[in-house]
Amino acid sequence: MRPRVLTGILLCAALPAAAQRPGGDTRAQIQALQYPPLRFNPTTPKRVTLSNGVAVYLLEDHSLPLLDVEVVSKVGVANLPDSLWGIGWQADGLMRTGGTTRLSPDSVDQLIEFYALNVFISTGNDQSNASFSGLSRYRDQLLDLGFDLLRNPRNDSSRVRITAGQQLEAWRRRNDQPGSVLNRAWSQVMLGDHPLGRSQVTPNEVSGFTPTRFRWAQARIFCPQNLLIGVSGDFDERTLLARLETEFRGWPACAPGLRPIPALQVTTGPKIVLIEKDVNQTNIRMGHAGGIRVADAPDYFAAQVADFLLGGGGGFNSRLLQRVRSDSGFAYSAFSNWAAETKREALFFAGGQIRAEKTVAGLSLMRQIIGSLATDPVTARDVQLAKDNEVNSFVFRFENAGQIVQQQLGYAVEGLPANWFDIYLKGIQAVTPAQVTDVARRYLHPDRLVIVVVGKPGAFDKPLSTLGPVSTMPVDSIHR
Amino acid sequence: MRVLVWAVTLSLVAPGRVPAQEPSPGERLPVVKHVLPNGMTFVFLRRSGAPTVSFVTHFRAGGVDEWTGISGTAHLFEHMLFKGTHSIGTTDDAAEQALFPVIDAVADSFTSEFRKGAEVDSTRLEALRDRLKQIEDSARHFVVSNELDRILTENGAQFLNASTGNDLTNYFFQLPANRAKLWFVLESDRIRNPVLREFYSEREVVMEERRLRVETQPGGLLREEFLQAAFRAHPYGRPVVGVASEIQAVTRRAAQEYFKRFYGPNNAVVAIVGDINVDSMTAWADAYFADVPAGEPHQPVVTQEPAQHGERRIEVEFDANPQVLIGYHVPDALHADAPALEVLSAVLTGGRTSRLYQRLIIRDRVSTSIFSFEGPGQLYPRLLTFAGVPIAPHTTQEIEVAVYDELGRLERDPPTASELERVRNQAQAGAIQRLQDNFGLAFQLSQSEALWHDWRQTFKDDAAVAAVSAADVQRVARTYFAKANRTVATLVRAATADSTGGTH
Repeated sequence: MRPRVLTGILLCAALPAAAQRPGGDTRAQIQALQYPPLRFNPTTPKRVTLSNGVAVYLLEDHSLPLLDVEVVSKVGVANLPDSLWGIGWQADGLMRTGGTTRLSPDSVDQLIEFYALNVFISTGNDQSNASFSGLSRYRDQLLDLGFDLLRNPRNDSSRVRITAGQQLEAWRRRNDQPGSVLNRAWSQVMLGDHPLGRSQVTPNEVSGFTPTRFRWAQARIFCPQNLLIGVSGDFDERTLLARLETEFRGWPACAPGLRPIPALQVTTGPKIVLIEKDVNQTNIRMGHAGGIRVADAPDYFAAQVADFLLGGGGGFNSRLLQRVRSDSGFAYSAFSNWAAETKREALFFAGGQIRAEKTVAGLSLMRQIIGSLATDPVTARDVQLAKDNEVNSFVFRFENAGQIVQQQLGYAVEGLPANWFDIYLKGIQAVTPAQVTDVARRYLHPDRLVIVVVGKPGAFDKPLSTLGPVSTMPVDSIHR
Repeated sequence: MRVLVWAVTLSLVAPGRVPAQEPSPGERLPVVKHVLPNGMTFVFLRRSGAPTVSFVTHFRAGGVDEWTGISGTAHLFEHMLFKGTHSIGTTDDAAEQALFPVIDAVADSFTSEFRKGAEVDSTRLEALRDRLKQIEDSARHFVVSNELDRILTENGAQFLNASTGNDLTNYFFQLPANRAKLWFVLESDRIRNPVLREFYSEREVVMEERRLRVETQPGGLLREEFLQAAFRAHPYGRPVVGVASEIQAVTRRAAQEYFKRFYGPNNAVVAIVGDINVDSMTAWADAYFADVPAGEPHQPVVTQEPAQHGERRIEVEFDANPQVLIGYHVPDALHADAPALEVLSAVLTGGRTSRLYQRLIIRDRVSTSIFSFEGPGQLYPRLLTFAGVPIAPHTTQEIEVAVYDELGRLERDPPTASELERVRNQAQAGAIQRLQDNFGLAFQLSQSEALWHDWRQTFKDDAAVAAVSAADVQRVARTYFAKANRTVATLVRAATADSTGGTH
């Protein structure tokens, strides 16, 4: 697709030297470029179902002797009873390091490192993942070990002790970096102690670390009905499926005990919260509830374009980066994130790290830029930039077999159709400038932002209170 | 445990090992090298797969090439190459050019005042800073800000970025394969016609980058001061991002001079990897770049770091919990001892089964992590550094004791056959895994050719690691890890800080 009108009078191949003089016509050359159509039909993974009902996405690619197995669980730590949140958050590391009923922790480490396997397990708040990859000639070792770790974690008490010590040290270090202080303060201010806002285990939770509790959580997160499998690379379908059947044989159904994730209660503004830290650069985040879910077409697509143009992917041409960084020199980084999920409402926020002496000027500017999406409408050219970027970069979403399989796993977990990317692309292409202005008017509220600031007020250009009432939050009142 | 014994035995007798003399998979890649008469070097590699192309350019220009008083210029110039040319980024080149002398004159007044140091008139300095901002803002009338970024964004470019190191500076992005020609049009303009517009506001941006990465980050500040302590003569001791006062005073003219000296096409290496037609790429390289005049050839830095005569220890005070860096001077990355040093590093800290990890993290629970790495560059003699983070109440001293003890123990207990086999297997798997990603491959090819004038060198290193013996590791352990050759930097809290701070 070539959305822009070509002025096509210059034959650029004949004229490269013309652009090389100062004041030359590189712009004209670019407009004259005519690109051949991109011929590309990405392959689709094959979906099969194991005898126990687990869905498997398969995509063979024999170009290199490598194999990649992805396991996704549809549940996460926030589905555990609240008292087990800290257990769930560290359950992944112990699955990797704590041995299995068959193998000691040291044996697991030696197998992984001797065969140069890559083994990652991650329990996230609303879903969990495991990834096993390596040379395809070690396929059996990779699958046997990977599924042993998922099914039969030992949680050896020696490794539980190590994890406990490391988590207590992470707690001691939690305020060492301004970014860590801001992330944790922001979550607490916006979401209270909701599990989706947690990322730090407390000493109280560490004191409850026991092998039995870890086992309880692991068995409920990684169990057959919760799982989807993706396999890409150098394998033979029949042999691999037979192997997967063996790996799942006798794996009991998921035990009860998980809960649905509690509803979010997002704090409403206006509100300004200051956490003092002796640094010469101020960490800032501001936002409110995002108001939009993925299912809310066409608003969802318009909000995606709005976010791209505000600071969520539009690069230097986004309003925040253009004005806060390029025009003003206040910051190295300024961004926005208007998140939308399939299952629940998420947050809208913008942030950056601003020179301490420009804190209030920078904050005001950011607030004004957020408001400008409604009052200073985006142009057709801006919206075209977002569309062109999506359309022309689509091939990068399908660069290799692993990426294609991951994409399908992601859609399946979110309950999106297999052709979601096509729907998404069409949705983005249909967005008009008026729709972008409209979603900005309806969903973005620069007058009701919750603003969290980590910095040294003595170095600010003006008191923060010139922007509104400020509440000071002692750093020790960040609970996690 | 039985399973493991079986596994290791099987692998030791399996004939899967690659002898060192056999070319690694990377060396057999069908790379086409094309050197223009002006010295500009292209390496092309056609790969099957999705229709994408990765472009990575390395210039033989980095922090080490700066002269006194202009530290950070290599990096600031890297930012400036995104600001456009005489064509891209402006509505009226002539009118804009006419304003630069006016802007530079105000910048010179600012610099003169700034140079007064302690005697500076801070009111005047701030007034000049405001004036500089005003006058640069007035030039924005002719600026199409971030036009380069816009053109690439609308064409679906990915990973658009650049980075500056001690030895080299790189620029990169990916395009859909049908738009490959856009790279030639944009880059042939950018390499010969950069216009350093919006320079002084970008200088402020770079100051914020320094604050973000160094001044507000305990680990960043520790690393900067550690390198300054270890290198007293060689520019590896100077921060690439720049010394704060020099960033604030660097001028547009200095950046232009840096460009003229180091950005000749003969100092540029471009790797183009992906779904390409090599013949078209070759023709376009000739058509777009052959008439760029060659610049001065790059000269290696003359300064050699003198031998260190005695251990150096520094403390860096910061409101944060302790960590330690322990560095030893070792040769450059192409030296005959480099593969053995890499194996030594892997035996001691490469993974959970490594000797120091086993001791510090698993057995004694003294440390949350232990790493080792070489740097800060590759072309010149550098450091092999151990980085450790203690678990209170354990101390950085306990980490030091363990590191010194394990380095000494290599003499008594040389790396075992199994330890070496693990390192070889990992190198072999890594050699194949690195072929997966076209962008990564383009980066490695371009960097290897820029550093060593040989794109294969990066792959030869894999084979060299496989050939290292236990005796080689023992020899380098004896050669480089004497107390007098080391620098130790420790992050501590200031004595006056709240003594309970560490537990908060």
